[in-house]
Amino acid sequence: MSQFLQQLINGLSIGSVYALMAVGYSLVYSIMNFSNFAHGGVIMLGAYFGYYYLTAAGLPFPAAFIGAALTTCLLAVIIERGAYKPLRERKAPFLYFIISAMGTSIFLENMVIATIGPTFRTYPEILSRTPIQIGSVSVGRLDLTMFIISAICLALLVFFIDHTKMGKAIQATAYNIKASALMGINTDLVIIVVFALGGFFAGIAGVLFGMKYTVYPQIGIITNKSFIAAVFGGLGSLPGAVIGSILLGIIETITSGYFSSQYRDLIAFVLLIAVLVFRPSGLMGKVTEDKA
Amino acid sequence: MDLNYIFGILTLAGINLMSVLGLSLLTGFTGMFSFGHAGFMAIVGYTSAMMTVKFGLPFIPALLIGGLIAALVSSIIGKLTLNLKGDYFCIATLGFGEAIRLILDNVQYFGGARGWPGIPHHTQLLNVVIINIVAIIVLANIVRSKHGRNMIAVREEELASQIVGINVFKYKLISLMISAAYAGIAGGLMAHYMTFLQPKMFSLVKSTELTIIVIFGGLGSISGSVLGALVLTSLPEILRTFSEWRLVIYGLSVVIIMITRPSGLMGGYEFTPSSMKKLFARMKNKNKGLPNQMEGGKTV
Amino acid sequence: MNILELKNLTKTFGGLTAVGNVDFEVPKDGISGLIGPNGAGKTTIFNLITGVYKVTDGRIIFKGQDITNMEPYKIAGSGITRTFQNIRLFKKLTVYENVLTACHANANYSLLESVVRTIKCRKQEKELKEKADNLLEIMGLYDRKDLIANNLPYGLQRRLEIARALALNPELLLLDEPAAGMNPDETVQLMTLIAEIRPKFNLSVLIIDHHMDLIMGICEKIMVLNFGCKLAEGTPQEIQNNPKVVEAYLGVEG
Repeated sequence: MSQFLQQLINGLSIGSVYALMAVGYSLVYSIMNFSNFAHGGVIMLGAYFGYYYLTAAGLPFPAAFIGAALTTCLLAVIIERGAYKPLRERKAPFLYFIISAMGTSIFLENMVIATIGPTFRTYPEILSRTPIQIGSVSVGRLDLTMFIISAICLALLVFFIDHTKMGKAIQATAYNIKASALMGINTDLVIIVVFALGGFFAGIAGVLFGMKYTVYPQIGIITNKSFIAAVFGGLGSLPGAVIGSILLGIIETITSGYFSSQYRDLIAFVLLIAVLVFRPSGLMGKVTEDKA
Repeated sequence: MDLNYIFGILTLAGINLMSVLGLSLLTGFTGMFSFGHAGFMAIVGYTSAMMTVKFGLPFIPALLIGGLIAALVSSIIGKLTLNLKGDYFCIATLGFGEAIRLILDNVQYFGGARGWPGIPHHTQLLNVVIINIVAIIVLANIVRSKHGRNMIAVREEELASQIVGINVFKYKLISLMISAAYAGIAGGLMAHYMTFLQPKMFSLVKSTELTIIVIFGGLGSISGSVLGALVLTSLPEILRTFSEWRLVIYGLSVVIIMITRPSGLMGGYEFTPSSMKKLFARMKNKNKGLPNQMEGGKTV
Repeated sequence: MNILELKNLTKTFGGLTAVGNVDFEVPKDGISGLIGPNGAGKTTIFNLITGVYKVTDGRIIFKGQDITNMEPYKIAGSGITRTFQNIRLFKKLTVYENVLTACHANANYSLLESVVRTIKCRKQEKELKEKADNLLEIMGLYDRKDLIANNLPYGLQRRLEIARALALNPELLLLDEPAAGMNPDETVQLMTLIAEIRPKFNLSVLIIDHHMDLIMGICEKIMVLNFGCKLAEGTPQEIQNNPKVVEAYLGVEG
C-alpha cells in the first residue's frame, strides 16, 4: 500500500509539471483552435536556458529560474508573431497553423542540435537528494518542489483568468473571437498575452523537467505527452488540462512502476487513441454540432 | 560526380515519392492531414522484410501483400477515427505513428530499438521507377474520375458533399486506405534498399517530412508531389556536409512556405497535356496582343 | 398526393425547442412555401429533413418511406436536394466542376474500373460530362463554365447552387432563401426560373424565403412558422388574410 502511495506521489509531481505544460496548449487552443506543436520546443529551450543561466552565467537559482521563464515567454511571443500571425491575417485554415507549428518545432530542436550539440546535460544539484519522510512515504525534495511550484503557478493563473480584466478578456475571446473583437477587445493583445503566459509556464516546466531528468534537444517530443494530457482533459479547458495531466502522470508512473518502464511512453499514446475513439471532447471539453 | 551516387539519390527520392503520392491523395485531394504515415511505412517495412527474409517470398509479392496489410490496418484506424473533426484526426494519426514506433522499439523479434540488419538488397532504381510510374498512373486515373472528384469535394466542403449525395465517410476511408498502401509499399522499398531497419527511421519527423513535401509541391497536384519529392530529397543529399542543418532548414522553410506561398510549388496546377496546351495558347495570345481569355483554371 | 410529410417533428437543443410538434404535408408537383420570422426554425426543418440534424421526436416521410435520421448522403440519393442560406458551393472549383461533381450519382463505375479506365468507365464519364453541359445550358451558366464559382456574381452563385442540386435528379428540391440579397428585378427572374424548372425537371419544390412577392407569387401552399411551431397553413390568400399571421409577421415586408 505504501508503495502504491509512493507511486501516487511521484505521479502527482510529474503530473503537476505536465499540467504546467498542458495549460499552455489549452490556452492557445481555446483562443485559436489549433494545437501549438511548437510548445514542446519552447519547453525544451526553457530547460536549456535555465541550465545556461545557472552554469555559464553563474546566476543564483531563483534568478536563473525566472530568467529562463522570461526568456521563453519572449520566445513564445516571437514565434506567434513570426509563424502564426501572418497566417491569421490571411485567414488560413487551422491545419496550416499546425504545419507551421511543426516546422517551428523541427527548426528549434535541430537548431539546438546543430549549434550546441545533442549531448545530454545535467543540472547541477540544487536540492539535496535526501528525501523527506511524510508518514510511510518518502518524497523527494525535488518532487515536492516541483509540485509546490506548479501548484502556485496554476493558482496564480486561475486567479488571473477569473479576477483580472485581461483574464476576462481571454475568457471572452476563447468563447468567441469575432464577437469579442466587435465588443472592443483587443484580440491581438489577448493572443500575445496568452502566448506569453504559455511561454512563461513552459520555461518553468522546462527547468523543472530538466532538473528531474536531463537536458537534451528531444525533450520537446516527450512534452507531446502533456499535449495528450490536454486532449484527455478536453482541449480548450484549463481545469481539464490540469486534471488530465495529473491523471496521466499517475497512470504513467503506476504503469512504469508495476509493469515496465518501457511501456511508460506507449501508455500515453494508447490513452490518447482511447480518448479520441470513445470521448473525443475529452473529460471536460465541449461537444459542438455543426450549424448548417 | 559518380553515376552510382546520382542513382542512389534518385532511388531515395523515388522511395519518398511513393509515400508522398499516397499522402497526396489523402491530404492534397481529400483534405485530411496525417502525421502518422511513417507508421504505415514501418508496418510494411517490417512485414515485407519478414516475408522475404524468414519466409523466402519474392520481392514484389511481398511488397503487394504488405500494401494490403497497410490498407487493412488503416481501415481499422479509419473506422475508429474518421468521424472525428479534422484536427482530432490529425492527432490520432500522430498517436498511431508514434505508438507503432514505440511498439517496434520493444519487439525483440524484429530487433527492437537496435535494429534489424541483413535484409536482402532488392530495391534498385529500375523497379523504383517502374513502381512509381504505375503508382502515378493509378493515382491520376482515380483523380480524373468521379471518385477523385468526390474526394476533392470532401476536401472543399464536407457538408455540401453530403448534400450532393457523396458518402463522405466512405471516400475518406478509401483515400486513407490507398494512401496507407502506398506508404506501406514505400516502406517495403526502403527496407530492401537500406538493408537495415530501425524503428527510429519511422518517427514523427519522418511523417512530418512527408506532409511537408506534399504541401511544398502544392496540394491537389500530382506533378507537384513528384517535383517536391525530387527536390526535397536530393537537395539535402547534395548538401550532405551540412546534414545537421538539413532539418533546421526544413523547419524554417516550412514556416516560410506557410507564410508566403502555402499553395506550394505548383499551386494546385498539374502538368497534363491539356494544361500545357492551354498554357501555350495563352502565351501565344499574349504575344499577339489579343485580350486574355477570362481567367479560369484551378487555384488552391 | 403528398411527396413529403412531417409528422410531429420536434428538435430541441438542450433546453431550447427549435422546432416543436410540426405537422406539414408538401404536395407533389407543387411549389410550397415555408415562412416565418428569423429564428422561427425554418432552416432547422430543412436540416432535419436532409439529415444534417438528428430529430428529437417525430417522423419524416418521403414518398411513403420513413427517412427520419437517415444519413444526409442517402437522403440526397433518395431524391431530396437543397440549397443553403449562406451558399455552400465548392467555392474554389469552377462552375463546371461544381455541377460535374454533383452528377456522380448518374454513373456507377467502381474505383477499380476507374483505375483501369474500362470502356464502361469512359462511356459513363462522357455521359456525365454531357449531362453537366446540358444542365449548365438550361440554367444559363454555360458560357461561364470555367469561372471559379467564388468569382461569380451573387445571383449567379445562387443559380449555380440550384443547378448543382438538380444534377442529382431530385424529386423534391428545398430552396433556403434563394432570393436573399436580390433586388426586385432579380427576384422576378428567380421566380420565372423556378416556375420553369419545376415542370421541366418534374420537381416538387419547398421554398423558405422572406421575399413575400416571391412566396405569394409562386407558392400554392404556405406554412407559417413562429417560435418553432406551426402558426398557420393554407393558400397565399388564406395566409394573407389570417389575423394571427398578420399580427406575428406580415405587414413588415412588401
